[in-house]
Amino acid sequence: MGVTAMRKWAVIAVAAVVAIACGGSTSGGQTTGSTIVLGAPLGLTGSLTKESILTQQGYNLWQDWINARGGIVVNNVKHPVTIKYYDDTSNANQSAVLMQKLITEDKANFLLGPYGSAATATDAAIAEQNEIPMVEANGAAQSIFNQGYKYTFGVLSPANKYLQGVIDMAANLSPKPTTIAMLSADDNFSLEVAEGVNTYAASKGLTVIVYKKYKNGNTNLSSEVQAAKGADILLNSGHLQEAIAINKAAKEQRINAKIFAYSVGPSTPDFITALGKDADYVYGGSQWTPQVKYTPAFYLSVSEYVAAYKAKYPGLGDPDYHVAESTAACLALQRAIEKAGSLDPKKVRDALAALDVTVFFGQVKFDSRGINIYKPMVVEQIQNGAHHTVFPDTVADAKPQYPTPAWDQR
Amino acid sequence: MAAFVQLVILGLLEGGVYVAVGVGFGLVWGVLNVVNLAHGALVIVGGYITWQLFTAFGVDPFLTLPVDAVALFALGYALQRGVINRIIRAPLLFTFLLTFGINLVIVNILLLIFGSDFRSVTPTFSGQGLELGSVVIPYVRLTTLGAAILLSAGLALILNKTRIGLAIHATAADRDAAQLVGIDLRHAYAITFGLGAACAGVAGGLIAMNQAITPTAGEPYTLQAFVVVILGGLGRVSATVVGGLAFGLVEAFGQSIPGSGSVFANAIAFGLMVLVLVTRPQGLMGRLH
Repeated sequence: MGVTAMRKWAVIAVAAVVAIACGGSTSGGQTTGSTIVLGAPLGLTGSLTKESILTQQGYNLWQDWINARGGIVVNNVKHPVTIKYYDDTSNANQSAVLMQKLITEDKANFLLGPYGSAATATDAAIAEQNEIPMVEANGAAQSIFNQGYKYTFGVLSPANKYLQGVIDMAANLSPKPTTIAMLSADDNFSLEVAEGVNTYAASKGLTVIVYKKYKNGNTNLSSEVQAAKGADILLNSGHLQEAIAINKAAKEQRINAKIFAYSVGPSTPDFITALGKDADYVYGGSQWTPQVKYTPAFYLSVSEYVAAYKAKYPGLGDPDYHVAESTAACLALQRAIEKAGSLDPKKVRDALAALDVTVFFGQVKFDSRGINIYKPMVVEQIQNGAHHTVFPDTVADAKPQYPTPAWDQR
Repeated sequence: MAAFVQLVILGLLEGGVYVAVGVGFGLVWGVLNVVNLAHGALVIVGGYITWQLFTAFGVDPFLTLPVDAVALFALGYALQRGVINRIIRAPLLFTFLLTFGINLVIVNILLLIFGSDFRSVTPTFSGQGLELGSVVIPYVRLTTLGAAILLSAGLALILNKTRIGLAIHATAADRDAAQLVGIDLRHAYAITFGLGAACAGVAGGLIAMNQAITPTAGEPYTLQAFVVVILGGLGRVSATVVGGLAFGLVEAFGQSIPGSGSVFANAIAFGLMVLVLVTRPQGLMGRLH
């Protein structure tokens, strides 16, 4: 070994000693335990890149916060956290393969969900086989939770509730709208949202007069929109791209509904930048908005959360609900690990099943299937290019602008 | 009746997009015998050029179409000359692999530059339309159809009336004979691919006005171009125009079947494609060589 090499090793050794000494002195009496590894496959490339990156932002926000505190406290020992990501190229089957890799090769202690119902469904099977809890925030299809799985927990409201808030709101408006045209993409999640509307509407005195399904990802929806002509409420259950296509077609074809509401899309900033003024008056169901008022038991308040997001990701505006629900998944897992007082997957699973805590995202509590049916969905409306929460009244920051003016009178 | 007329109009107008996407694809396929799997990605590149010029400089999106054409022509020429030409005589599978690879590279470069956000060109006249009773003809879509027809006419003109067009025809008819009479094959091929890419670029500009684009939004267009070209028939621009309009109509009616929606639209479109392949393998308007 040459002199330079020896010197290099010496420097590294000193640095290591200093690092350990510093690390030890900040723990404030508590010792630092093993690092907890969380695994999450995400669609960092491919068609779900946008939403997957929002999911990753939500996870990372929490990771920064918990590690700034030294980690998750388990029996007075602080365990720092690392989240290991893999790119599943927005492919559900690939997501499951990577989930297995995270468990067997990367020795992930616990799992965080991927983006989307399709990938969550395939990953849930892997979590179940390996008996390792997966807390997910971006798979709302109830079909995931009707399989009898014991290790998958979803912090978000299930799909059938996505547009129920809009129906509830519509029932209280005057003049009361009476007819609904329901358009839906043909993937599992979207169909559940649409079926939720179809079964729920009658109980509020509304009639679904048109129900049309289109192929998931289709952007030529002129004929579907044409079929919706004459209905008071035009509902779409699909994704951002289809929501934009439908809104454009509605304007072109002079479809003047009193309410335009889309399950997914309006809550994202892209919807407004893509459509400009035409995005005004559109309603959307949302898991969460930056305006909601919940009193958190731990972690940040809603306004602190928004500030933390803007500090870490400047220039992106307010966090949307994909970010918030993803952070909430981490919080649920953190609280369950603390309650279990152990890193044993079975004990943490039991703690998750018994969890009942309110955070900035709302109440997090799971039914016997593992999905959070206790948190309400809120309704947002875009007013003058900005998002406002308009329903339920208890969390609203603005009144609904109703009815939507005809296209030629805007 | 009004609903029927409206449906026919919407179908034909949507067909304009398919015509624009199809002509370039058909040209490359017919002359180079390359099924260009990167066609959809080139379409999206055109879309982003239009979007960028519109948002950054406020250029009218229709005026950006020539820019799309020139930029994509250069890109297409370089791609063919530098990359695809190396395997032009290789079996079809190799061209599949190569163009699929090019597709991935383009998509990921776009992701790096523009991110995965949805972008849409929404000029002030977007959504305006001509109202005839209860039938509406949206201006943007009408102009899209007009631009697609002009594009096709321009391409046909280049192919039939210019020296390079005749050279391309000659190359398509007999590669070796064309070389014997002094046609520079590499140049003719690169010009062909460049023209195909230019058409893709114009199609992308039109698409950005009609809907939202992301870097990954191109794939369906490759597939649609494939169907359109088979429907119309390979080897003539006018055939692709017919194929594109027919595809738009079929899709519109497929989507409006009561109780179904577009779930069956694809099945109908592809069923029609199979039917055409079985009964008229040369396509609705094609000529067999």
